[in-house]
Amino acid sequence: MNVLLAVLWKDLISEWRTRDRIVSMLLFSVLVVVVFHFALPEDASQLLKTGAAGLLWIAYVFASVLGLNRAFALELENEALSGLALAPADRGWIFLGKSLANTLLLFLVQAVTAFVFALTFNVSLTAVVPQFAVVMALGALGLSSIGTLFAAVAVRTRYREVMLPLLLLPVMIPVLLGAVRASAALLERGTLPAPALRLLIVADLTFLIVSFVLFEYVLDE
Amino acid sequence: MQAGVLERAAGHFRTPSLWALLPLCAVYGLAVITAPEDAVQGVIQKILYVHPACAFAAYLGFGLTALGGALYLWREDEQYDRLALASAEVGVVFCTLVILTGPIWARGTWGRFWSWDPRLTVTLLLWFIYLAYLLLRGFTEGSARAARFAAVYGIAGVLAIPLNYFAIDLFGGRAIHPENLGRGSLGAGMGLPFALGLVTALLAFFHLLARRLELEGLRARNAFAEAETQHEPARAEGPWPT
Amino acid sequence: MTDAAIAARGLEKRFGPVAALRGIDLDVPTATTLAVLGPNGAGKSTLLRLMAGLARPTAGSLRVGNPKEDRRRTRGRVGYLGHASFLYPALTARENLLFAARLYGVIDARRRAAELLETQGLAAVADRPAGGFSRGMAQRLAIARGLSHDPSIVLLDEPYTGLDRVAADALTKQLAALHAAGRTLVLVTHELSRASELAQRAVVLARGRVVYAAQGPGLVLPSLEQAYLASVESAA
Repeated sequence: MNVLLAVLWKDLISEWRTRDRIVSMLLFSVLVVVVFHFALPEDASQLLKTGAAGLLWIAYVFASVLGLNRAFALELENEALSGLALAPADRGWIFLGKSLANTLLLFLVQAVTAFVFALTFNVSLTAVVPQFAVVMALGALGLSSIGTLFAAVAVRTRYREVMLPLLLLPVMIPVLLGAVRASAALLERGTLPAPALRLLIVADLTFLIVSFVLFEYVLDE
Repeated sequence: MQAGVLERAAGHFRTPSLWALLPLCAVYGLAVITAPEDAVQGVIQKILYVHPACAFAAYLGFGLTALGGALYLWREDEQYDRLALASAEVGVVFCTLVILTGPIWARGTWGRFWSWDPRLTVTLLLWFIYLAYLLLRGFTEGSARAARFAAVYGIAGVLAIPLNYFAIDLFGGRAIHPENLGRGSLGAGMGLPFALGLVTALLAFFHLLARRLELEGLRARNAFAEAETQHEPARAEGPWPT
Repeated sequence: MTDAAIAARGLEKRFGPVAALRGIDLDVPTATTLAVLGPNGAGKSTLLRLMAGLARPTAGSLRVGNPKEDRRRTRGRVGYLGHASFLYPALTARENLLFAARLYGVIDARRRAAELLETQGLAAVADRPAGGFSRGMAQRLAIARGLSHDPSIVLLDEPYTGLDRVAADALTKQLAALHAAGRTLVLVTHELSRASELAQRAVVLARGRVVYAAQGPGLVLPSLEQAYLASVESAA
């Protein structure tokens, strides 16, 4: 448990000092939103009604991939990852610490991006802010848990940054679907559909448990 | 280095299974050709005798891949890793067949190649997971590390598949798959070729798996033997241990 | 099997077809300092990584610490200083040490970090980010990090790299003190004089094999030098 807090603290302090990931994730995410404006047709209001949630989550998924890659690239400097592997600590806690740090960062990026999105596309979120926050958090947790596991693997392969999305995208679909459906329902009707929420929670739990257990093997030689 | 128990089994299985497979294919082919044409769908419906069978093998393949990976992590015996690799390579072939035959069938019956039908979509995702698995293996330096990483991804992937299914079923595309594939939905005379298709696909899968496993085992033993024959390094002179 | 702190029998490590270590037989009794010497590429670093648990042998056996003990606890008893520093550049010296101490479950990590900073002479730069450190400072910090959990087995891979004379002397003193306190040390180094000063046993590796071993009174600088030069020549 202490190890979890130590890792979480270390990741957050590093991030605070360098603002490395948060800036690039934020910039990227907002850029994607801007690009949507140019990619969508002139009268996109109908498309936005139904597709806004999906667009947002696309931006989130790619921002998370960016952040996860950077998170482990930082661990490779000075072989810090080996330093973690040497410790007697249960690696599951190391995983949780990193995963939570990633979740927090992603959530921050999500919040700001949603705000920017609402402004530029004239979509109203004010009525559903708390529920939307819950969905974003659950989605971030799902992406960050299995993402942290895969990033630890991907970053030590020959195609580092490219490997992570290849590994992650087909597997994170349940999280994406749950999050998009929930977000869409919130935007359209202001209600949070139970099935989507259930899917998100089940996916999150599954990914958390699996990653917690498997992380043990990922730090070995 | 000894051949593992799996490889020895594969060696025994290989030839008899080939002898069984050839006539089986002939019988199967005959059954498919002579099966009655479906009144509504026409001849294209005969893909039914191939498509689900391949799907079965594809999913079995990934299941074995994940199992091999899990056993490798547990026992650290490389033969399990070889099983995982062989199963992935054979499974991806069957998965590709599913992805190819699905649209052919769909086009023939409903007029469109793709419709995001839940089952086909999940299989498509499985296909991507297979490819990611093989790419991961290919791009990781060091065989022990590659085996470990692959095992982790295999286990994560196999757990993601049912999740994917529930997710897509809940929200995904329109179902165009015939819901009930039980006895009732198959017309008279269709049961036999269908069952034969399943058996043939399974036998073909295990036959190919056995061959691939044997090959990989040979490769591993060969690399080991080669390393053994490297010549001794020169010894330096100096006083011997006191 | 002996009751040595570290024991290797027929230890072998291959990377694909390349054998980095072959047929290594070694004993490091508790509270002894072993010097491992040899030309570059001899397998010294590989040997240390195996002892630290960062890599696994491909053949033979290697026992570090008490085999009956849980593997994780043994990891907690071993301190490893490799070629890479394991430091986080964004964190200050103090924070790096704090993190390492917490990672190893050291009680009162703050005090330990402060202690280590003092011992390594880094108190003045304690709150500067490690990324800006000079080579010597970074090396001293890495050493402090490796010792943060007061390990009973200390593995050091070329710890003198980047240290100036003063710092090197200080390190030698520190290692001697560790030895006096009953710690087991394995020291890979090119500094033969320091090795003969500190060690009770020495081995010279060349091309993955032990080509010379000496201990006790047999461990004299001239013979070490001779053996080392012979190994370098034969490896060339």
